[in-house]
Amino acid sequence: MGKAKLELSVSEEDALRANLYRLLAHTLRGAPARSDLEHFSAMDGDATPIGQAVGALSRVAAKAISEEVGREYHDLFIGVGRGELVPFGSYYLTGFLNEKPLARLRSEMSRLGIERRNDVSEPEDHIAAVCEMMAGLIVGDFNEALSLEEQKRFFETHIVSWARHFFTDLEGARSSVFYACIGQLGAAFMDVEEQAFAMV
Amino acid sequence: MAKGNDKAVTGRRDFLKLAGLSAVTGTAAVAAGSVSAEAAAPVKGATGYQETDHVKTYYKLAAF
Repeated sequence: MGKAKLELSVSEEDALRANLYRLLAHTLRGAPARSDLEHFSAMDGDATPIGQAVGALSRVAAKAISEEVGREYHDLFIGVGRGELVPFGSYYLTGFLNEKPLARLRSEMSRLGIERRNDVSEPEDHIAAVCEMMAGLIVGDFNEALSLEEQKRFFETHIVSWARHFFTDLEGARSSVFYACIGQLGAAFMDVEEQAFAMV
Repeated sequence: MAKGNDKAVTGRRDFLKLAGLSAVTGTAAVAAGSVSAEAAAPVKGATGYQETDHVKTYYKLAAF
């Protein structure tokens, strides 16, 4: 996906939202590098649910060993045949992969000018991919940044119906330690997004 | 942006300002194309297989 344009017309709050979607996309696309873990360990959160989740992530990242986080990622999402979790919208919504939710997302992507990467074999309704899409739609990576009404529509159609369940599952997954924090952060963020969009 | 919406938009911005989002700093998480696999220096305390220089040398010498 393209580089973010200068975010001149995006409010600070919306840039922060995009940034958090990107953090989730980055860690859910693959295990974080050591430099990522160092960066996370320097973050600091306040008493809000998101802040607390960031604090937890920071503490866990400070102690994490990247090879072990890599194994955690593998156990959670890859495994043998499948991992502990199946992080795709179609799976969460229908019990199967490559279902109507994916078809709906593909139509939307086509409408919005979002292309599928050639080097990725997995379906586009992966949690990392939809988070990355949302970030790009907020700041205008693909075409013009979406209005809040349009963002709300995307969120309600492709994210809210399943992402919070996924993040809660991630928080409670047997294999997750570092990723439990990502689950906690994602769930808290989904709540905030939902409440914020209710005001649109 | 419709004029009647200004108050709602302000309310939403204020809500987001207080939601703790600024805890997520920088754009290190954003690095599209950042490489997850790194040259492995031996990690103290890690369990499991580690590809240390010693191991790499073994593989190099064992190759036919």
